[in-house]
Amino acid sequence: MTTSSVLVPDLTMAQLIVVLPVVPVVSALFIHLLSKRLGARAARVSVTATALTFAVALALLGWAIAGHGAQQIHVAGWSVLLFDPLSTLMATVVSGISLIVHVYSVRYMAEEAGYVRYFVLLDLMTAALLTMVAAGDLLTLLIAWHLIGVLLYFLLGHNTQSASSSRYASWTFLTYRFGDLPLVVAAGLLYHAYGTWSLPEIFAQLGQNPQATTLGGQPLADVVAALVALAAFARSAQFLLHTWLPYTMEGPTPVSALMHAGIVNAGGFLVNRMAPLFVHTGGVLHWLFVVGLVTAVVGSVLMLTQNDIKKSLGYSTMGQMGFMIMECGVGAFSLAIYHLIAHGVFKGTLFLSAGSVIGEARHDDRVPKEDLYTFVVERRPARRRAPWILMAGITLLAPAIILILAHWLVAEDIFQQQGAVVLLFFGWITGAQLIFATYRMRTESFWRLISLTVISLAVVVLGYAAISHAFDLFLYPDPAFRAQIYAAADISILRFDVLVAVVTAVIVLGWVLAYYSERNGSRAARTPGGLWMNFYALISREIYVTDLYAWLARAILSAATRLNARLRWA
Amino acid sequence: MNAALVIIAGIFLPLFPLSMVLNVVVARVRHPVARGILFLAWPQTGLALLYAAHVAVPSWVIAWALATSLLYAVRALALREVGLWAGFLATSAFALLWLPLTGDTPGLLTHLYALAFSTPFVLLALLAAGLEHRFGAAYTGLYGGLAQTLPRFSGVLVPVVLAAIGTPLFPAFFAMLAVVLTAAPAAAAALAAIWLVWTWAGTRLLQGLVTGPAEPGEARDLSLGSTWTYAAVLVALVIGGLYLSTQLAGGTA
Repeated sequence: MTTSSVLVPDLTMAQLIVVLPVVPVVSALFIHLLSKRLGARAARVSVTATALTFAVALALLGWAIAGHGAQQIHVAGWSVLLFDPLSTLMATVVSGISLIVHVYSVRYMAEEAGYVRYFVLLDLMTAALLTMVAAGDLLTLLIAWHLIGVLLYFLLGHNTQSASSSRYASWTFLTYRFGDLPLVVAAGLLYHAYGTWSLPEIFAQLGQNPQATTLGGQPLADVVAALVALAAFARSAQFLLHTWLPYTMEGPTPVSALMHAGIVNAGGFLVNRMAPLFVHTGGVLHWLFVVGLVTAVVGSVLMLTQNDIKKSLGYSTMGQMGFMIMECGVGAFSLAIYHLIAHGVFKGTLFLSAGSVIGEARHDDRVPKEDLYTFVVERRPARRRAPWILMAGITLLAPAIILILAHWLVAEDIFQQQGAVVLLFFGWITGAQLIFATYRMRTESFWRLISLTVISLAVVVLGYAAISHAFDLFLYPDPAFRAQIYAAADISILRFDVLVAVVTAVIVLGWVLAYYSERNGSRAARTPGGLWMNFYALISREIYVTDLYAWLARAILSAATRLNARLRWA
Repeated sequence: MNAALVIIAGIFLPLFPLSMVLNVVVARVRHPVARGILFLAWPQTGLALLYAAHVAVPSWVIAWALATSLLYAVRALALREVGLWAGFLATSAFALLWLPLTGDTPGLLTHLYALAFSTPFVLLALLAAGLEHRFGAAYTGLYGGLAQTLPRFSGVLVPVVLAAIGTPLFPAFFAMLAVVLTAAPAAAAALAAIWLVWTWAGTRLLQGLVTGPAEPGEARDLSLGSTWTYAAVLVALVIGGLYLSTQLAGGTA
């Protein structure tokens, strides 16, 4: 939804967007009221309703891709749903993932208590998510945003006998509420300033007067965007608001899949929905970048040190959410949407296939006895290494050439955007790291491995560049608006250059140190130093964030008890 | 004169320490219906008193009301007796009614906000009596797992607690939203903190009653008729919430 979108008032197929949340709600009511009569057939009703919802979402997406303009659909008086590229794309993703989770749950949950209740909640969650992605006014958005937290609380605590799942569900609910409330305050500020709840109207007025101020003369856009960002951080498990995510694995596996593939991505969606607000901000996007970066690093480090596979997956999601928010921070809003979809698909697959993989592995290790396996896994070290200068050249140049060519193919002017340069830089580092790691593998068929690595990198980069560019054109068709988003994320050119130079120097130094430590590894002492052990202790205790919150909670409860005793419970 | 009236009203729209009166009365009145009526009538009396006297509410009351509300919300965290918990949370909610009084919110709407805050506590008073009848005491953490032993009772208790802590689509959510709209940004931040503590208190209550391993022993669940009656009231509350939402959307709040 851009500020320049034309909002056509006539009635068209776009009105079908109302059907999206209505069908799952009707299904939930139907199976709840007729649960005794339906029994296990309730699941079939729920799956059918979700399939219908998905079909409608697909049709709407097709309608939007065909170029039909954004429309506001008024529902029941004040509520407004938006038909636009973002809402139709997200509705397709949400209903698609929900359908997979529904189908999977039919057999997976069959032996669990509260089978019908589970499908009622799943339908209501689908409805709330669809309402959120299509909300065209702040009230509807707030209601849907709050309800998602409430419904997730019940889905995660589905097993009512488990005290721990109930405790972690509560913790999730509290964190979500912590994120809901800044959104309430942001909505209040916007309503005060513009006298309307309608998002398109607010964005239009904001576009006309972006310099509006609020409390203490602070720019309204900055204050509201910061509050919106805080709401997105809580929903997308950004650092310091992340502790609920790795601990919510006690819920049913399909719920974990839905949460990691869909719900946790809401932060990226919110930032995109509020894009016309963020383009008028000063430093808020830089804040998003820093928080995303810290989350990505911390999430990835914590993931690597977990000995519990489920917590490891949780931290993996945290890291991915960090990348998504970081992409928003550099102005690549549509890339964040692509990222959240891609992450949703692969993380959903991981969760849903985990059980069957474990089951099958008990009968068959599924290790393919073929050339590729022998080549990749059973490596036979080469007798001598390739010259390091040649390898350093390939490591540094190959990813750079692939990235520059791929991006030049999709848009020549992309190198004018700082955000795009940051992402290119990041891609270059990742690609070089990949080749560097390959070099260290010392396999017998070294050149074959390097060729496969470079070709794989080229395919991934080309696909990523082409698809993300297509997303950019679809979600933000107005080139001026796209430029505005990148401009809002820009920093001064001197600071940018210094930052890139410093980061490059640090990373290259890291590579050199890794190279030399490997070469002299046999001679160097293997005993870890005190600093390293302290760092490991810090990471293995998850940086004490959870402990800190637990201590804080205990302190508040203890103070409340003392107060009650002193005031004689009155 | 103004200050004296405000202080008298501070008993009914609780301002600490005058707020202690409400909680002493709640603790003394054991009959569930009487307690329910108390929850309904208490804030309405305060509002009626202020509107009848045409008192201009001084702005310093806002900070006092917010502090009272936060104090009782935090204190509710440590309570295990359901009746007292309802009293504390009601005190926290009623104190917030001072905020629309300082703005130009129509009197009728403020009375409706009071009703929106009160009604869930009426239901909670009845449910607390039901727990006392079945188990001898309405305490969280004493007997868990009601979801397994009393599924209908739990099915009613959970939405009632959600209604009390201001969850959409219940009217307390829209009343709270309207209060946030009348507040200055700093007060809005305080309201957000209070709302968060309500949620914490609510989840602690549910955790100690509804979830966890069930205690052995038999207790009679709610009858089908009672369940439908509670469900009808909850649906009415949702309809009330939607009515308040139209007021908010129309800019009346």
